[in-house]
Amino acid sequence: MIGDALGRALAAIVGERQLLQRPSELLAYATDGLPGYRKQPALGVFPRTRDEVVAVVRLLARANVPFVPRGAGTGLSGGALCDGTVLLGLNRLTRVLSVDVENRLAVVEPGVVNVHLTKAVSIYGLHYAPDPSSQAACTIGGNVAENAGGPHCLKYGVTLNHVLALTVVLPDGEIVSLGNRDGESSGYDLLGSFIGSEGCFGVALDATVRLSRNPQAVRTMLADFTSVDAAARATSVIIAAGFEPAALEMMDQPTIRAVEASIYAAGYPVDAAAVLLIEIDGLAAGIDDDAESLRTICLAQGAREVRLAADERERARLWQGRKKAFGAMGRVSSHLVVQDAVIPRTRLPEVLRTIAAIAERERLTVCNVFHAGDGNLHPNISYNANDPDESARVHRAMQAIMRCCVDAGGSVTGEHGIGLDKLDYMSMIFSADTLDAMCRLRGVFDPDRRSNPGKVVPIHSCREWTQVPSLR
Amino acid sequence: MTGVGLREGSVLSGGDPARSAPHHHAGTPTAPTAHQVAHTADVADAIRDAATSGVALRISAGAGWLGAGRPISAPTRVLDLRALRGIIEYNPGDLTLTARASTTLAEIEEATRPHGQWLPLDPFGVETDTLGATLATASCGPLASSLGLPRDLALGVEFVDGRGIVVRGGGRVVKNVAGFDLVRLTVGAWGTLGVITEVTVRLRARPEQVVSVALDLPDTPAALAPLLRALREAPLTPIAAELLSAPLGAACGAGTGAADVVVVRLAGNATSLTAQRRQIASFGDARDVPESTWDLLRRAFPSGAASVRLSHRPSRLAELWFDLATTSRDLSGELRHASVERGVARCVMPDSIDGTLSAQVAALASRWTVVGEQLPPEAWTCLRTSATDRLSDGVRTAFDPGALLNPGLMTSRR
Repeated sequence: MIGDALGRALAAIVGERQLLQRPSELLAYATDGLPGYRKQPALGVFPRTRDEVVAVVRLLARANVPFVPRGAGTGLSGGALCDGTVLLGLNRLTRVLSVDVENRLAVVEPGVVNVHLTKAVSIYGLHYAPDPSSQAACTIGGNVAENAGGPHCLKYGVTLNHVLALTVVLPDGEIVSLGNRDGESSGYDLLGSFIGSEGCFGVALDATVRLSRNPQAVRTMLADFTSVDAAARATSVIIAAGFEPAALEMMDQPTIRAVEASIYAAGYPVDAAAVLLIEIDGLAAGIDDDAESLRTICLAQGAREVRLAADERERARLWQGRKKAFGAMGRVSSHLVVQDAVIPRTRLPEVLRTIAAIAERERLTVCNVFHAGDGNLHPNISYNANDPDESARVHRAMQAIMRCCVDAGGSVTGEHGIGLDKLDYMSMIFSADTLDAMCRLRGVFDPDRRSNPGKVVPIHSCREWTQVPSLR
Repeated sequence: MTGVGLREGSVLSGGDPARSAPHHHAGTPTAPTAHQVAHTADVADAIRDAATSGVALRISAGAGWLGAGRPISAPTRVLDLRALRGIIEYNPGDLTLTARASTTLAEIEEATRPHGQWLPLDPFGVETDTLGATLATASCGPLASSLGLPRDLALGVEFVDGRGIVVRGGGRVVKNVAGFDLVRLTVGAWGTLGVITEVTVRLRARPEQVVSVALDLPDTPAALAPLLRALREAPLTPIAAELLSAPLGAACGAGTGAADVVVVRLAGNATSLTAQRRQIASFGDARDVPESTWDLLRRAFPSGAASVRLSHRPSRLAELWFDLATTSRDLSGELRHASVERGVARCVMPDSIDGTLSAQVAALASRWTVVGEQLPPEAWTCLRTSATDRLSDGVRTAFDPGALLNPGLMTSRR
């Protein structure tokens, strides 16, 4: 057990009010964005300054106590769950420390909410490009840990492509700088290794991120198809034709109906088998030519209609339906399992057909809402977790869907991470030797495996595995 | 911009690795025969042999590895990867390509061009540069400013680590966050964490139309800074924008040699290009230059020349550009170029082999981020070696505990 002495020592650093110890207080931290798991932290500590974070990490290192760094807890792989150890909340470090407008970069604390950064720099005509659907709540620190994506990553790249430097406190308390904000980086790409390490390599104290210029013009269109196959084919044709849309999203009929029945109704055609939400951006000159070319492609691939958003209000409405689709599914059933897999884009039609067959076999409704442009699928199943038979069918279906994506040459996660939820899938795509190499890399940053223990790589894969330090 | 002329100054020449042994620094004992490998398993065998014999390996791809002039301490045997060649999978609809390490950039260009696609890596050197070496050295050229660095384009990598274990990081899809990132780790590691045997890269569609436009540059930092700022802030979507010193501009067909120039490579549809050219014309006397300028630029550098890259935030590029000009003025025949968007300048100094270079590099390193590409051994000591911190040492030890792979290329110690 984590004893009172540790609690007192932590309170001495952060103050009593920033320390949660009662089970009732910790209830809110027993889950993250992925329903279906519940893990109780022993205590939660919420430092408000960088110095407090460092002091907490050093105290935990001296006491040899494992901890789980957590941003907003919106992750979808159970990565921020904390089982009987110390939960280290970074969501109170919310300052944008500096903005360099001319060089388009900002230095932020880890608890800055993704969309708050964009709001803070919008007066300069800039924005922060990675835009996960949870961007109204998720933090930059969490985005760094997960190498978060989002719809616009199709054109602009994921978090990895937007972080220039990090200051990190390693699990042993040492502070290191990764990357370089004043020029090129050289040497081993430790920054690239840290991004996406899901909290297993240490805690980011600040991040220097790249800001992007707001595009001069944006065109958003909704293409409406009578078959999923046709929508999937249109996606492949658009990509192969050399268009680089800012975003290219697909929603199938179950998703459309869930959205249209919710407060997020976006005016999607409820009788469509699938819609594509396509956005292009860039210079004003020539953008309408590209929009027209895309419209032609969609119509040639069998779209009934291609509707161009007339103004910013209509564009926002089209996007709200997409970004809140997971939330809309909450109305359908008490539980939702959100899957995340990636396949080569040309395999979309056949993989979607297989997913439909799996759903039919298991008597389940799968809602597909995903980043079609980069082949990043999100098949979701609404169900009642209190029904053991239905739960078993959901579990079987998810396994089968993942197997189908891997067999198509894909990956088990495009943006949600492995966390706790996908540990079992890792050996589907990585050999024992590769998993061991990942363990060795982790060992460089966190030899004692105290930071977010038990996540990402199944522990038995680590050849030189030793017992995770016992709690005291 | 930036990059390493992979052919230049190789410790090992491509034609006959054994013959190049005399180019090692005097006194370095070298094993006489090279390991010839054709499969990943052969690489693993060679590494295990090295572990047994204690003779380290110098990895040599198609055109020969760049030793960069670093002082090499350990005896080495050549690991010749030239037979590890060929495209394994290319599905144009997916815009991804998987190839063995010694596949040349020219072969990839040949395969992708008919499909209107390309791998937008244009490192300085020759077309026989290999994919594996380009990634291992993180080499890139002017296109990197808009289309990505090698780390951004690498999706998956197979490598054999210093214990002879075959590891496959990443995958063949364009988006992937499964597990800890072994791809970024190997890109730019100069083979010191593992011998890259296979790579999957993201391709791009070639732009519908491309046109390159040049402007003469003003000759003071005070006048250059606002121009560079305007170029970065104007409604333009260049795929490259590169400053060239006057002689380099002339050699590449982009200038008369009377002034430094900036060459902007614009891409887009016809309407967009018309608007962008009008925009550039508002900055000065713009003239079209042939697309061959970019090929000439890649090949403009004499082999074996000393070269360094300097960088800082892009807003300081004008200052950096003139500081570099002043500092390198004594080095005859020096060639300079720089990426407007990235704020990275490169200086190639063909005739600088004397002691003054060290002092100049040291002076520059006190003001700018300096990355050495090719330097005489004594000049390397002026640069803070980039991989001597605890984490870098730890990574090296974790993946190559015996320091068998390219010893001396990342740190002076190992």
